[in-house]
Formats: sequence, structure tokens, C-alpha cells
Amino acid sequence: MSVEVELPALGESVLEGTVAVWLVKPGDRVEVDQPLVEVTTDKVDAELPSPVAGVVEALLAAEGDTVAVGTPLLRIAEGGEHVSAAPPSSEPAAAPSVAEPASDVEPRATPLARRAAADQGVELAEVEGTGARQRVLRGDVERQAARNSEPPRPVASSTPSRVPTFQYSLQPGDQLVPLTPLRRLVAEHMVFSKQTSPHVGTVAEVDMSGVARVRDAQKRAFERTEGFALSYLPFILHATVRALREHPRLNASMLEDAIVEKKALHVGIAVETEKGLVVPVVRDADRLSLAGLASAVEDLAARARTKKLSPDELKGGTFTISNPGRHGNLYGFAIINQPQVAILRMGEIVKRPVVRELDGEDAIVVRPIMHLALSYDHRVVDGSPANAFLYRIRELLEEAEFDL
Amino acid sequence: MAAPCPRLLVEDLGRVPYAEALALQEAALTARRRGERPDTLFLLEHPPVVTLGRGSRKGHLRDSPEALRARGVEIFEARRGGDVTYHGPGQLVGYPVLDLSARGERDLHAYLRSLEDLLITALAALGLPARTVPGYTGVFVGEGEARPGHFPRKLASIGVGVRGWVTWHGFALNVDVQLEAFEAIVPCGLEGVEMTSVERELGAGVPADLPARAREAVRASFLSRYG
Repeated sequence: MSVEVELPALGESVLEGTVAVWLVKPGDRVEVDQPLVEVTTDKVDAELPSPVAGVVEALLAAEGDTVAVGTPLLRIAEGGEHVSAAPPSSEPAAAPSVAEPASDVEPRATPLARRAAADQGVELAEVEGTGARQRVLRGDVERQAARNSEPPRPVASSTPSRVPTFQYSLQPGDQLVPLTPLRRLVAEHMVFSKQTSPHVGTVAEVDMSGVARVRDAQKRAFERTEGFALSYLPFILHATVRALREHPRLNASMLEDAIVEKKALHVGIAVETEKGLVVPVVRDADRLSLAGLASAVEDLAARARTKKLSPDELKGGTFTISNPGRHGNLYGFAIINQPQVAILRMGEIVKRPVVRELDGEDAIVVRPIMHLALSYDHRVVDGSPANAFLYRIRELLEEAEFDL
Repeated sequence: MAAPCPRLLVEDLGRVPYAEALALQEAALTARRRGERPDTLFLLEHPPVVTLGRGSRKGHLRDSPEALRARGVEIFEARRGGDVTYHGPGQLVGYPVLDLSARGERDLHAYLRSLEDLLITALAALGLPARTVPGYTGVFVGEGEARPGHFPRKLASIGVGVRGWVTWHGFALNVDVQLEAFEAIVPCGLEGVEMTSVERELGAGVPADLPARAREAVRASFLSRYG
């Protein structure tokens, strides 16, 4: 059985490590606890000991590679049978009926398999043996040879674009802030998104009176039953999800030669944390009531701040809402969270004078107003549906019919 | 009846050549991992030696290796992170061999921060307010953030290794080291870092038995945290 050894979590703030030196190579026999590889992170060098005894099958990272926590570093074939099968070194290997050479490096294999491997240029160490005690048979070698001759699969590029950098000579008073892994990821994603999607923006002015009334009416009861304050965000989320149902083009991704309009409605909520921007995802947001959305948002935001989100909770969003909070200013255009096609950004809610018709007369009244700004990918979404979508969100918020 | 096993053994070794101290640490680390000895803090000082970490760039050495050797300075390539470091008489070197896993503290950066905190505590006991500088490892004195020409002065360097959650390597605190020795290198790859010592920072207030007091202060702060 093979065991993959991953880069372990080396600390709460340690998200990645750099493979400094391999202390083993494929084919090496390792004991439990034997150091396998040295990994560096900042000023700390960590040697990873082997969790099992066995033979190193493959190294999955190269020296100098920087990998995330959880990335497999090497594969070890567990067990030490071929070693115990080797005669003690003091005795001559005088048992011709035992075909395996008395080596602790080479895997067990039949003579036919060895010849086939040599003929076809297959490394025995990479062949999974299906014979007794994992012995490699000729068929195993041929299967591996066929696999090796397959054209390599295209690999999705993980770093689509480099963050542009420039030379700068430090001036007195300048402060250098080291780039954290999260900062680097965010930077790369921002550049990638802007290069991929032509962003277009549109803004709606929303009268939040109706929402404010509902919220005020429910606030007390909500706090008592749910244990936290009801914010405006769940209302925006609720309206957005309903508008997305009616405008599936905004809940989409662009593929090479098609656009996929997604059935699932997983809405990411951009949350600022101490460590930077994270976007936990409310899954199947269209199946949740207002209270359900509020609970989901509260739970994700709280765990984002305490860094208790699992990686899965940050994946799979189909649309994103960015809520900059109290200091959101009038409005602003967010960058699309790829591979989504649009992002909605909330502005501040401020009482403003607006003109309304009262008893057939125009009048200036004071209303809580919020600006909602939509950034959309003009490759995928035309102006008219984008505006219709945003207008619909505004309608739903102003109608303020919410089922708690 | 067996004597109660201390959680942290502090061993005062005096002056030990770098290579010898390295071998000692390896042996202690192996024994610690087998559960054959308790966590240990080795306190010692080295004869003059320049160590090169894996991150070392040759340009960080101001003199040629030959010139350094001619002056009686040993050169050693250490299997650890970090850059060029000088060790010599007057520097209190500490090598904690701690099983972080057994302590339920499997967090390397937290450990690094803990070493900084313990040195700051020890320095406070000597009457010297020290601090960390965000983004850098080590213990510093002086106001202001890191910037060219105004880098806080460095009192202690830290470089840590861990094998299966047992630590080795550690810290070097400049107690009354000859600061001219640092002229031989550029400390830790930071152009313009000024090295300082407890002796220099305390100025007129230096007690006669400073090295012994510094050792005692470091021992006490480590025992309060890991003992």
C-alpha cells in the first residue's frame, strides 16, 4: 500500500513551505521517523520524518518548490517485505529458485517483469505490483508502459499571471511589509481577473425604507431567538438570489467555446479579516429563508475571522457579494471573483433627501439610501440584462417582501 | 524511586566549538525523540565562527573566507535557514531541544515568537527594554520601524530548526561580545543592520558580572515558560 506524505500544518500562520533539500530519493528504503525532506518557512527549517517504513516510490515536489500545507510531497510504498526477503549479507545469495535479487532498493518483480521493464524503459519503482505480496508481474509493467506512452494531460495553470513588480530604491521613512501568502494569492487573482474579463459597472440607488422597517420590526425577536443581530446583508443576499434565479446569465462562467449558466446558486460573501480578504460561500443560497441566510452569513463570517473555515467553504461560489461594511462610502466597483461573471458591492446606507410623490405632489423626503454597484463581465453579459438584473434587485429590496 | 523528571533541563556548557555543539544537539535531539531525555536548553558560547545558513548569499560576507580563517575565524556551513551569522566570545548562545508535539504546541512560528518573547523578558530583567520588529526575526532595541539608515539595533539573532517537532538551533544574544567582530559579516542579510550588545546598550549601568547575570536571566525566563 502506498502512503502519500503531505506538507503538515506547521503553525497557525504558516500556509506554505519551500522544499529545501530532499534527504531521500526514489527507491530508497526508509524507516519510521527517518527524516525525508527539509522544508523551510521563514527562519524555520523543518525536517519531516517518515510516518511509515517502506520504499520511496516517487518525489512529488522539486527542491525549491513552494507548496501549500496539505500538498503531497512524496509517495512511500509501505512495508518492508522485500527487505526481509533479502538474505542476510553474511550469507551468499545461493538460492537460485528465489528470483528476486537480494537488494533493498529494487522492488520485488518476476524475471519476466524485469526483462519487460528493461525492454520498455519502465522504472520498476513506479509500477504497482499486483502479484503476491505486491510482486510486480509482466502485465503490471505493460500496463505502466501503456500509461507512460499516453500524451500528458493538459495541466490547468495554477498561476495564470504574475504580479507585475518594479524596482524601487528605498527612501528614508519607507516601510517594507513582507508579502504574506494570502496577499500574494489575492494580488495574482486581481490581476488575472482584470486581464480576463472586461469589467463594466452599473449602479442602482436603492431606497432601503422597506427593508429598514422589516429589519426594525424583526430585530428584537431575531436577536432573542437567533442570538445575533440581524444585519442588512441577508436582505441584499435574499433579493440577489431571487434576481439571479430570474437572470441565470449572471450566475454563469465562460468556458472555451460556451457559456455555462449554473443551476446551483452558491453566493460568496467577501469578508475582511485581519489576515486579508476571504470569501466564504453560502451554499444553495436560494433554498434558505431570510433567517437561514442570516445564520449562514453570521456563521461563516465569525469563522472567517477566527480562521476556522475549511478550504471547501471558500470554494465553488457562483456569484459574489462584497460588503465593505460601515465605511463602504457611496459606491465602488469590485473586481470579479473568477470564474464568476459578476460581483455586487454594497455601499453605505445613509439618510438622503429624495423626491417622492405624496398626494399627487412632488415632495422632498428623507429616506435611507444605499447604492448597489454591479461589476459584470462584458464578454458574457450584455448591458441590458445586467441592468435589468440590478434593477430587479432594487425592486425586490424596495418591495421588501421577505419571509423570515 | 526515580527522581521527578524536570520538564526542562538547563545545561550550562561553557565554551564549545560550533561543530561540537552541533553534534551535541543532534544527539540530544535523537534522544529526545526517543523519549530518552527531557527537554533541554543548552547554554554556551562559541569560539569565533561564521555560519552560513541555507539562505546565505556570498555577498553577505564582507571578507573572503581565507581572510577570515587567517584571523582565526572558523567558517561553517550550517544546515539551517537564515543567512550569515557570527558567533563568538561574549555572546550567549542558547540551543533549546524541545519536543513541541509533546507540549501540544505544534506551531513553528509561535515557537519563534516565543523565543523572542523569552529573550525580551530576560533583557527586561537586566534593565534593558527590547522589542521585536514586525516582519523580522530577532530581538532589537531602539525606536522606529525598519528603514534604511534607521534600522533598530539588533541584540539577538534567532534561527530555528525542527525535526519531527523537536527543535534545535536557537538564539544568540550579544551580551558583551566584541562588536567589531560583526564587521566581518553583514548580519542576517540585512544591509545596514547595526549590531549592538547588552553591554553597549546599558552603558554606564553595566554590572561587573554581566555575563553571569545574563545567563541567569535567560535561564529564569525559559524555566518560567518551559520548565
